[in-house]
Amino acid sequence: MSIGLNHFLIVAALLFSIGFFGMLLRRNVLVLLMCVELMLNASTVALVAFSRYTDQMDGAMFVFFIITVAAAEVAVGLAIIVSLYRRKQSLMAEDYATLKN
Amino acid sequence: MNAETIFPSLQTMAESNQWVYLWPQIALVVLGLGLLVLEMLLPRKRVGTLVPAVALAGFALIGVLVCTPLFPTLADSLTVFDGMLLSPLSPGIFLFFIASSFLTGYLSMVCLPRQVLPRTEYFAVLSFVTAAILVLIHANNFLMMFVALETVTIGLYVLVGYARGQMTTLEAALKYLLTGAMSSAMLLFGIVLLYGAGAIKGIADPLNYQSVLQLFKDAQLGAGDSLALCGVALTLCAVAFKLGAVPFHIWVPDVYQGALTPTTAFLAVSSKAAGFVVLLCMLMFSFDAQSLKELLIPLLSLLAALSILFGNLGALSQRNVKRLMGLSGVSHAGYLLLGVVAYLTLGHVSMLYAIAFYLLAYMLASYAVFGVMSHVATNIDDFQEMQDYRMLLEKCPFLGGVLCVGLGSLAGIPPCAGFIGKLLIFICAVQAQLYWLLGIGIFGVVVSIYYYFGWMRAAVYRPWRSSQDSSSGKIPMESAQPSPEVPSVWSRLVLGALAAAVLLLGLFQGSLVSDPANPRQVSSQTSVPQDN
Repeated sequence: MSIGLNHFLIVAALLFSIGFFGMLLRRNVLVLLMCVELMLNASTVALVAFSRYTDQMDGAMFVFFIITVAAAEVAVGLAIIVSLYRRKQSLMAEDYATLKN
Repeated sequence: MNAETIFPSLQTMAESNQWVYLWPQIALVVLGLGLLVLEMLLPRKRVGTLVPAVALAGFALIGVLVCTPLFPTLADSLTVFDGMLLSPLSPGIFLFFIASSFLTGYLSMVCLPRQVLPRTEYFAVLSFVTAAILVLIHANNFLMMFVALETVTIGLYVLVGYARGQMTTLEAALKYLLTGAMSSAMLLFGIVLLYGAGAIKGIADPLNYQSVLQLFKDAQLGAGDSLALCGVALTLCAVAFKLGAVPFHIWVPDVYQGALTPTTAFLAVSSKAAGFVVLLCMLMFSFDAQSLKELLIPLLSLLAALSILFGNLGALSQRNVKRLMGLSGVSHAGYLLLGVVAYLTLGHVSMLYAIAFYLLAYMLASYAVFGVMSHVATNIDDFQEMQDYRMLLEKCPFLGGVLCVGLGSLAGIPPCAGFIGKLLIFICAVQAQLYWLLGIGIFGVVVSIYYYFGWMRAAVYRPWRSSQDSSSGKIPMESAQPSPEVPSVWSRLVLGALAAAVLLLGLFQGSLVSDPANPRQVSSQTSVPQDN
């Protein structure tokens, strides 16, 4: 069996759904951030596969931008999480629910 | 894009000097960097007052220069750098967003001194975000749009979490971070699916908005097009998140409450308006894309109806004014979506003008209200209740008056601009025969009058008490409330100008409203590109 475009797309869709449902179900803030990374990387896999199988260059180029953006997002996100952890010594999402009706 | 197509496009780029169209963005980035350098150079005592002044002067200067011939006037829409589409109305759109950033900067000059916080970085990040918004609203290419959108969003994470000493602010930043990152990831996956669908079909340059629309030109969708439809749905989710439309609004009340008031105002106006401009840019050429319209019109109608209903009903029970502004902002996004649906159905240019006018009225009124809020607030502004506004009109007639004008405009009461905005949107809905959406819209307006006027009543009337209470000589409750600080001359000037603009736009719209035959006449503050 040769590996084709569809196999890559299935892997990408799986990665994306793992990240998506992780976002909905997990409670640890750091794990939530990792789920976002998983979703971004799913897009990267799909993008490279599309780009490779259709001989279009700009998909592969896009990947560099995604990596950069993801790094910036994690930098800011970790800064926020660290300063939260300093104040409450907890990473669980349910501890951060003071803003309510 | 392949090697043989890159070379000619680079050649045209080198031959025509297109950098001149980018100078507002470049100037804003230079302004932000300059502020950071200035902080290092100035003596420590002067930094707190000089840096904000320089930032505001910079915004004002760039805003004025954009309207002069320094920014080349365009007769027709123009593609620059293969990824941006400029229209004859671009200077007006620039002016809208720069004015919004100027007002945000002004509000933070009022709010930041109450906190023990560095001030320079706020203004620097604000100008970077503004530059990114100006790139975003002209993006014509998904790569450009994604990078610009992420720059805006990451900058906003910083601005939302700026008062990092306060637990509530940090919590708001965390919530914005998680929901925002999730929506970016969905947007990205949507873009990738659209790219893939385009690339498989052999469309040239499948990241371009117009090329992607070619996917939907056939009346019947093929089997492979489910990929493209999934892509559209995921992209729409991310845009709806930016707009704060139901069901992607869960972050709105919490983040609006936790963020500093200037940041809240920026989120409410600039971020939302940018979302609408992006949505309209994507849909600009979609009239013959029948299958796309068949998918989008029901989806967007649903979003609009849910936003109007949920935003207004949710705001009914709010006592916290920042949450109230957030939820009522959700309903305003719903009215604007109603205009977008009408535009998508009929495609009249006058509908774009209606949306633009609504955004303009919304911006002026919102900044008036947020301006009053930042004057009334004490150093912790997260828990501002309606009771804090008791007798505001008596204690400070100026702030009370501005508040009433702003709220009246948001509610859509006749002499204010908000009324005309709502009227124009509803006329569009009638033209497009969206009667059930129109009914929901009118129901929403009626509901919204209750909570806006509840706030106004708190500011204007004495709380009612029975005769026994007053005869027994109890000290009235409101005397315990501290009087708000007296607004400075500059505050009076800015807030007075906003209130006056709200009233004037309600009475004289001039050529702002619609003149489709002659779009060049539209005054420079219209905020939606138009390319027909």
